[in-house]
Amino acid sequence: MQNQRHALKLSAMLLLASAAFAAGEGRKDLRYIVGPHSTVSVTNEYGPISVKPGAANQVIIIAVTHSGKVEIDQSQSGNRIDVLSHLFPGADAQTGRVDYQVQVPPDASLILRSSTGALHAERLHGDVTLEGATGNVDVRDVSDAHVHIKTLKGPITLTNIHDGHVEVTSVSGEVVMDSVSGPLVQVNSTSGKIFYDGDFGSGGEYRLASHTGDIEATAPDDASIEVIARSVKGKVENDFRLQPKHAPFTIKAGSAFAGTMNKAASSVRLFSFSGKIHLKKR
Amino acid sequence: MNCAEFQRVLPETIEGGGNAEHQAHLNSCPECSGLVSDLNAISQTARLLRASEEPSPRVWNSIETSLKREGLIRQPLRDRSVTGRSSWRLSPAWLVPVAAALLIVFGVIIYQRGPAQPSQVAEQRAPAVSTQTINLQTAVNRANDDQQVLDAVGFKSPAMRADYAANLQNVNDYIRDAEESAQADPNDEEAQQSLMDAYDQRAMVYDMALDRSMP
Repeated sequence: MQNQRHALKLSAMLLLASAAFAAGEGRKDLRYIVGPHSTVSVTNEYGPISVKPGAANQVIIIAVTHSGKVEIDQSQSGNRIDVLSHLFPGADAQTGRVDYQVQVPPDASLILRSSTGALHAERLHGDVTLEGATGNVDVRDVSDAHVHIKTLKGPITLTNIHDGHVEVTSVSGEVVMDSVSGPLVQVNSTSGKIFYDGDFGSGGEYRLASHTGDIEATAPDDASIEVIARSVKGKVENDFRLQPKHAPFTIKAGSAFAGTMNKAASSVRLFSFSGKIHLKKR
Repeated sequence: MNCAEFQRVLPETIEGGGNAEHQAHLNSCPECSGLVSDLNAISQTARLLRASEEPSPRVWNSIETSLKREGLIRQPLRDRSVTGRSSWRLSPAWLVPVAAALLIVFGVIIYQRGPAQPSQVAEQRAPAVSTQTINLQTAVNRANDDQQVLDAVGFKSPAMRADYAANLQNVNDYIRDAEESAQADPNDEEAQQSLMDAYDQRAMVYDMALDRSMP
């Protein structure tokens, strides 16, 4: 009886393996030895890329393909590693998909690109450059490094990012920032909404701008900011009692406000053409 | 010098070429050099359009005819100079053609200066046509560029074409509104910044579509 069960399990596993093989599924494990401050670039037209910190001198990439329409091209040139999903003719979002799990040294600089897949990076201290067309972008727990993100309509979530430049450009993706601070935080959107929840640090420049999207910034009472907010055709709301400040444009009640709070260490500019702007008290 | 500092002196740089520091920044910054290149192209196109709309002799003839019809100028009599130079000089009639000439010169100056001058129908119409022509030309160029980019996306990834088309449309709306705001108040820094943001968005979509944005 036991032998029969084992045989049955073995048959099932073989069947699944052969089905996966027939479908072109495959897994590729790549390992590289690198020095400090390496650069890892992964370009994956279809499919997600997730990056986490690993050993200090090693890059590990696990790539899972879903058909024979795609192969993994890779190269190492000194401290730089390039990995690319190479699509064959006829590959589409299903057959060309590759799922990447990547481990990099915490100080590595990262360049990720995907058209449709989600991009995720966490717990790093190297610069992070992500570009996605429609997929979600999620970056968290990055410090002492610059974060540059571009999406067409993919939503962007940034959590716990400190002490670096943060530059986000998205046409229609929603941008959510939770506890993001640094010397420069800049978000430029056409129609996406922008949400910021944090204390605006101490001494940074923050500029959140959207053409038609709403902008909502939430800060604590002790935030040290000078703020200028204006919506050309939309409304503005402010929950704080600000000290008056000169604005470089005519202040129209309900569509703009300007002022300072506490020591005004950080500069905050909120600008929209027709979206609503709300500076909220936490 | 960083981009913000350079963009503050942009008008002088375009008009006078800028100093060594400006040139050094231009050489090292593709974004600012691209912006200057675009602005120069627009400026040259505007000059060509203005030159092409210089009034033809027929316009001058019409003005002369109108002035005569209104009695502001008269056909000089052939025998006037014969009748006596001294008497013509003393007569107030000589002021009429001088006034007419001044009127025409004044009209030409107003015509060339554009809408910032006092309101007169002829002067307002000419710059308006010029601006409309530039806007139209820009819109046509933009539409052609967009079409090429969308074709490229459609060729590479047909499923993405609709997304790119919709987002490009939004970005073009952004550019249009930002241009209007910046033109309405050229001293409004936020409006100028919005215009640059809008163009950045467009550049990003193009780069993304043509796969040349990543290092």
